[in-house]
Amino acid sequence: MADGAVLRVSGLRVHFPVASKRLFGEKRWLKAVDGVSFEVGAHETLGIVGESGCGKSTLARALVRLVPLAGGAIEFGGRDLAPLSDKAMRAVRRDVQMIFQDPLASLDPRMTVGNIIDEPLKTLFPDMPKGERAKRVRATMQRVGLLPNQINRYAHEFSGGQAQRIGIARALVVEPKLVVCDEPVSALDVSIKSQVINLLQNLQEELGLSLIFIAHDLGSVRHISDRIVVLYLGRVMEIADRDAIYERARHPYTQMLIAAVPIPDPEIARRRRLEVVRGELPSPLDPPSGCPFRTRCAYAVERCAREQPALRRVGASLVACHRADDPEVARAAQTNEDRE
Amino acid sequence: MTERVLDIDDLHVRFRTADGVVNAVNGVSLGVDAGEVLGVVGESGSGKSQLWLAVMGLLARNGSAGGSVKLRGEEILGLPNSKLNRLRGARMGMIFQDPMTALNPYLTVGRQMTEVLTWHRRMKRRDAVRRSVEALEAVHITAAESRLGMYPHEFSGGMRQRVMIAMALLGDPEVLIADEPTTALDVTVQAQILALLNELRERFGTAVVLVTHDLGVIAQVADRVAVLYGGRLMEQAESGELFRHYRHPYTEGLLHSVPRLDEERTARLATIPGNPPDLAHLPTGCPFAARCAYVHDACRRAMPPLETVRGDHVRACYHTGPLGRREQVA
Repeated sequence: MADGAVLRVSGLRVHFPVASKRLFGEKRWLKAVDGVSFEVGAHETLGIVGESGCGKSTLARALVRLVPLAGGAIEFGGRDLAPLSDKAMRAVRRDVQMIFQDPLASLDPRMTVGNIIDEPLKTLFPDMPKGERAKRVRATMQRVGLLPNQINRYAHEFSGGQAQRIGIARALVVEPKLVVCDEPVSALDVSIKSQVINLLQNLQEELGLSLIFIAHDLGSVRHISDRIVVLYLGRVMEIADRDAIYERARHPYTQMLIAAVPIPDPEIARRRRLEVVRGELPSPLDPPSGCPFRTRCAYAVERCAREQPALRRVGASLVACHRADDPEVARAAQTNEDRE
Repeated sequence: MTERVLDIDDLHVRFRTADGVVNAVNGVSLGVDAGEVLGVVGESGSGKSQLWLAVMGLLARNGSAGGSVKLRGEEILGLPNSKLNRLRGARMGMIFQDPMTALNPYLTVGRQMTEVLTWHRRMKRRDAVRRSVEALEAVHITAAESRLGMYPHEFSGGMRQRVMIAMALLGDPEVLIADEPTTALDVTVQAQILALLNELRERFGTAVVLVTHDLGVIAQVADRVAVLYGGRLMEQAESGELFRHYRHPYTEGLLHSVPRLDEERTARLATIPGNPPDLAHLPTGCPFAARCAYVHDACRRAMPPLETVRGDHVRACYHTGPLGRREQVA
């Protein structure tokens, strides 16, 4: 994978300044993303999961340079995007596009569908002839399942699922190599969600895209992703192949997340132990020392408060936990596997 | 012997809008028994929220309801607000997806809780405080007494939902209606709130109506499940029966389009084609006909009546043949 990587993120940090509690008090920082590293391979779908406040949306925005970075590198196409000027980033946006969570809010209500999808072509390929652009817009609409006669309609005339198809078309029309999808199906109805997930999968295969799929819904993430990154309070807890994560989660946080997902089968659902799910996300302004998860972790020991665990290989996972290879923690992973 | 707390019969809800009449609920009959959790599933446009707002007498001004809603045998649909206020404060409670819309951001939680009691129950302030602390403790909020002085924004999303539940419990309601109570919450917090709802039902015998689009949530806590589509009841059964022996194509479609963590991953998800219904332009006949894989001519002519499958399992569908098995659909 190392050489085939399309995107290589290392030590990425995004820190937001927060108003001090006292006048002339020390400036405080919210470390939304704090030293995140991962790679995305060619034609790979990388899932990123975590609860609200874990920094996953900030991470998505940081990758396309929509928020200022505090440090780290984003290697794409042989160069580091982190120090690039806005103008230099413009050329990169032909290759890296983004799809947002709320399809209606991210589409200009005064523009027709055709104009919305044409917009990125117009700005990123100023030399492209108009006829060529129109051809591309029509072809892209067809690809995502929009009808040609919808080209002059306005976005608000569409349902949520249709609007998300417009958002997808707008991202794909420039023929990018990498698409960052920030919670693309979270706002959609159950029956529509599966349509859009299938569409993304089809497009990924047909166009040979690399996808970053960010969501809090572990079911969707497992379905679409090849590999999965688990984030907590701005840090990577675990990275592993899809099957390894779900069959044998190594990090106690991953184990807890999986245990919390309700299973649509009453017999299984009622046998499960929900008491393993405890506590709430601490304030990201005042994260715990050492391992950020230790305050909710059933296996935390004194060392976890003292020393921040580094990512290391345990079994099929990269995991940031001092006790990941401890038999006690490993046993909990086993129960995930045996759950039937 | 189960007691029926709430009896809804042939309920209709309509809204007058600039785009014409929106038919949100079209003749739904449902019952809620004491101490049970009734799960109500539906997507947007199913009428699942408006149905319960109508029951609570909380429809928007352009909405009107017809039919009958009986609370322990007594008709409550169309009661004047003065009477409804007394019911809502005491015998029926409702919690919503976003607690911030229901809590007043300018008042402390304590003020909002005790007011319910001093105003509706004519309780002395000291007793009202004590009762509020008890309610917060019942929903596992620690240091309850000091929390009374806090404002809603000082609580996390999960804690706010606990506060909402505590407020709804103040009057010892016979029915608690929870409309998507965990949709805005993270899965780990959701698991905790669901465990809490289960516990409250067991401790206080409160009937709970859980409205959600998430079948996983339903499976976790519901005793019985009602499936709504286009403002109509499509299928209803005891929870285990519905998940194992569903007899409606829409229920089948919903169940199979959710990726499940406990099953082998499939190459593609099963889907329901098309879009949710437009309640301003409902077709005659079955509202699901346009998206149904088993559609017959009869479905487009008239809405199928509710028929008994077995026991108290009912469905509204003309299709008599078998439904596709899961592995074939996927």
